[in-house]
Amino acid sequence: MKTPYADHASNPAPADPPLPWAGGAYSIKRHGVSLTNCDSEPVQTPGCIQAHGAMLVVQPGDFTILQVSENVGVHFGRTPEELLGQPVTTVLGEEGVRRLRQVLDREPVERNPLYVFTLPARKANPALDLTVHLVDGVAVLECEPTARAAAEPEPEPEPDYYALVKRSVGRMQSAQTLAEFCQIAAEQVRALTGLDRVMVYRFHEDFHGEVVAESKREGLTSWLGLHYPSEDIPRPAREIFKKIWLRPLPDAAEPVMELVPLINPATQRPLNMTHCALRGASVMYVEYLQNMGVAASLTLSILIEGELWGLIACHHYTPTRFPYQVRAGCEFLAQVTSLQLRSAVQRETLHYRLRLEEVHNRIIAQASLDLDLASMTIGSPNLLNAMDATGAAMYHSDRWWRVGATPEEAHLDALKIWLDARPEFQNPTRPVYATDSLARDFPGAADDVAIASGLLALPLARRKGNVIVWFRPETIQTVKWGGDPSDKPIVTGPHGPRLTPRKSFELFTESVRQRALPWNPSEIDAALRLRLLIMELVVTRADRLREVNADLTRSNEELDAFAYVASHDLKEPLRGISKYAHQLLESAFADDVETRTRLEGLQRLTLRMDSLLDSLLHYSRVGRTTLQFENVDLNEVVAEALEIVAARRQETPTEINVASPLPTVLADRMRVREVFANLIANALKYNDKPHREIHIGYSPDGVQGNVFHVRDNGIGIEARHQTTVFNMFKRLHGRNEFGGGSGAGLTIVEKLVSQHRGRVLFESTPGEGTTFFFTLAPGADTTP
Amino acid sequence: MTLPPTGFVLVVEDSDEDFDTVLQAAREASLPQEIRRAATGGECLRLLADCERERRTAPLLVLLDLNTPGEDGRAVLRAIRGNGQLRTMPIVVLSTSDNPRDLDFCYQNGVNAYHTKPVSFPAHLRTLRCIFDYWLGSVVLPAAPQHIP
Repeated sequence: MKTPYADHASNPAPADPPLPWAGGAYSIKRHGVSLTNCDSEPVQTPGCIQAHGAMLVVQPGDFTILQVSENVGVHFGRTPEELLGQPVTTVLGEEGVRRLRQVLDREPVERNPLYVFTLPARKANPALDLTVHLVDGVAVLECEPTARAAAEPEPEPEPDYYALVKRSVGRMQSAQTLAEFCQIAAEQVRALTGLDRVMVYRFHEDFHGEVVAESKREGLTSWLGLHYPSEDIPRPAREIFKKIWLRPLPDAAEPVMELVPLINPATQRPLNMTHCALRGASVMYVEYLQNMGVAASLTLSILIEGELWGLIACHHYTPTRFPYQVRAGCEFLAQVTSLQLRSAVQRETLHYRLRLEEVHNRIIAQASLDLDLASMTIGSPNLLNAMDATGAAMYHSDRWWRVGATPEEAHLDALKIWLDARPEFQNPTRPVYATDSLARDFPGAADDVAIASGLLALPLARRKGNVIVWFRPETIQTVKWGGDPSDKPIVTGPHGPRLTPRKSFELFTESVRQRALPWNPSEIDAALRLRLLIMELVVTRADRLREVNADLTRSNEELDAFAYVASHDLKEPLRGISKYAHQLLESAFADDVETRTRLEGLQRLTLRMDSLLDSLLHYSRVGRTTLQFENVDLNEVVAEALEIVAARRQETPTEINVASPLPTVLADRMRVREVFANLIANALKYNDKPHREIHIGYSPDGVQGNVFHVRDNGIGIEARHQTTVFNMFKRLHGRNEFGGGSGAGLTIVEKLVSQHRGRVLFESTPGEGTTFFFTLAPGADTTP
Repeated sequence: MTLPPTGFVLVVEDSDEDFDTVLQAAREASLPQEIRRAATGGECLRLLADCERERRTAPLLVLLDLNTPGEDGRAVLRAIRGNGQLRTMPIVVLSTSDNPRDLDFCYQNGVNAYHTKPVSFPAHLRTLRCIFDYWLGSVVLPAAPQHIP
């Protein structure tokens, strides 16, 4: 038996052997046992009816009998041969035919069986309820023993079916949720029919079914929540359920009765029995029921917009009868259920969607508060809340954020690369990839089927590689299957293991391997909506960064303006002070030493303040101008730096050794020169040795690039000052020691080096000397 | 030795102390030329316009401070260089700022020399003395524009 799961719509594969009834008419009685494939069974033309009733097929015009069931003798006391070709008056009588004509003329009987009348009991023949419908131009008369005749000799008063149905409809309308609605429907159908078990059976997208509501007799094991493979209700059966509201099988053990002749002489085709209540049941279905111990079944269809949403499946453990009134009541309930279910489903879908959206809104609100997407996986609520999934992962800011059960990161990386190339991701309006079998599309997922058979994936933003994904486990892992051999003893049917629960389950297990429950449209829509919210958030974040950058640029400009003001507006009064101090000093008496000392101090302070203002101005300017990267020959640069400090070198004769040759680096020439000049100037300045030495060199280093150094044998830096030497205007010595200075030199060095994405540090032994080291990361970002 | 050019030097300077320093430097250099002051850029431009209207000779040299109230030194520089008659008049900027942007601006707009104004009084005097010695002693100046009808 092949697995119809793989492709519901396909006809039997060409490789299948020819059908046993090829060239003739199918009959359950003759061919039913030879079937190997449920999907190939011609269930609409079974050629047989259930034995408890009889069938007459007549020409609507002259009521000539065209076909009869082989058991007419039991019901009418005539053999088929005696009836074929005769007018139907032979069995119905004049009154019966008059009534039949009336119904055919006045009622919508095309493919719609309607009650005609009850044929009274005669001699050994029981009273029969007659229904009629038209199909393919012939009238089909179905005759079934009345319920009264089948019951005890003292019949109980008929229940008030109208009142029962009316009450049922009222209760169903009061349901608040879909589950509650289904439960009420099951209970009401059971109240109406009195059957042992009534289940609402919902089809999933892959047509496997799930018992979503159940009403049962005390003592029976509950089947609520069980899933059944799609083979249990094969495609031809589902097609019939789309056309009829109700399918009675009051006694599964009954033999079937063949039509005589099998081919209708008027249509030259087998009779289409889709709408017949007496339609013979497939051998496989009967076996299936018997394997479960079920003796009678009644199946109602639940249709939403012409599609089969589910069934109300009723089981009874003893043979029974479904009188016409009960069937009519059930049919009405099935229709009402279908109509009301539509809005219940829509409401449920809406609620689910609103719940998803509400949770997503909260997730986004938290993330925007944090200015970070991390809370979407580590916060509460997170991506796993509300969404019916067991794992979620998000790739953002160059890393994975995971919650729940997900494949390991190396696998996620591979998945991400594969997803980026999916055409679904390029869809401009709905960029989403959803699958219930990831391993089918992406063999790389084979190792993770247990946790990641189902995948819902969306690209995040335009940047490639940023994704958000949800995972669903393989269904076998999560769903409880009806027919699981571990639940029941192995039963082999009379016709071999074709449709035993065990066989069915094995088939099913095979077909649902690597599969998850499919994603429904609400989930996909909600995910797409969440994606937009995240993108908005990311854009908002980028906007905010832009604003901050603009603010920084503005404040840099303000700093520029401030530095300018500082250099001019502060210097002007300073110049005046210097001038008056000078003039006062000139006019002071030569012997007024105290006044002269004070005026000289005043002059010195103005100059000190002048140099501080210059440093401040210089420092602010260093940060504002853009670096100009070029290949810089450090031999030239160091030579230029030595030129700059030439004046000081004359004041303090020092032996300067420069390693030769120095390398060429990618850097800003002016800035690197200033770094060297500042460090050399410090080395020259802070030295009290009789023989002063400076060594300039570098050591190649694999990780940081070259490490440059300027080493002196000077005074060194005491340990307690080592953390503050780079601070602005921090001077470690009196302003008259070591030639003074503003204290900005090392601050500027540090800034220049960090603009090259390098680092500066030093080693020092007080009294012996200091070595400053710095790196220049090559190809550093040119933005300040 | 040529005779020192006669005429006047126009000093655009809002600071009284700084202008006084200019006068002191001129005295020490025994400049024969008159020193006139414009405290703002606007006053400078009015003075030049008056010269033109009354057909008097323009200044031999303009000493221009960049940061003057109202129209600053930059605007004055542009206005002078935009005037056909005054285009050749020597202008020397004396500013506290050593900002490269200011230097660029001034040289782009045809200044003849740019000096930073030292805070130290003796250095300030020295700078002014250099300017006077050079521009009024060494340099052969263009003939001052004569406003002839």
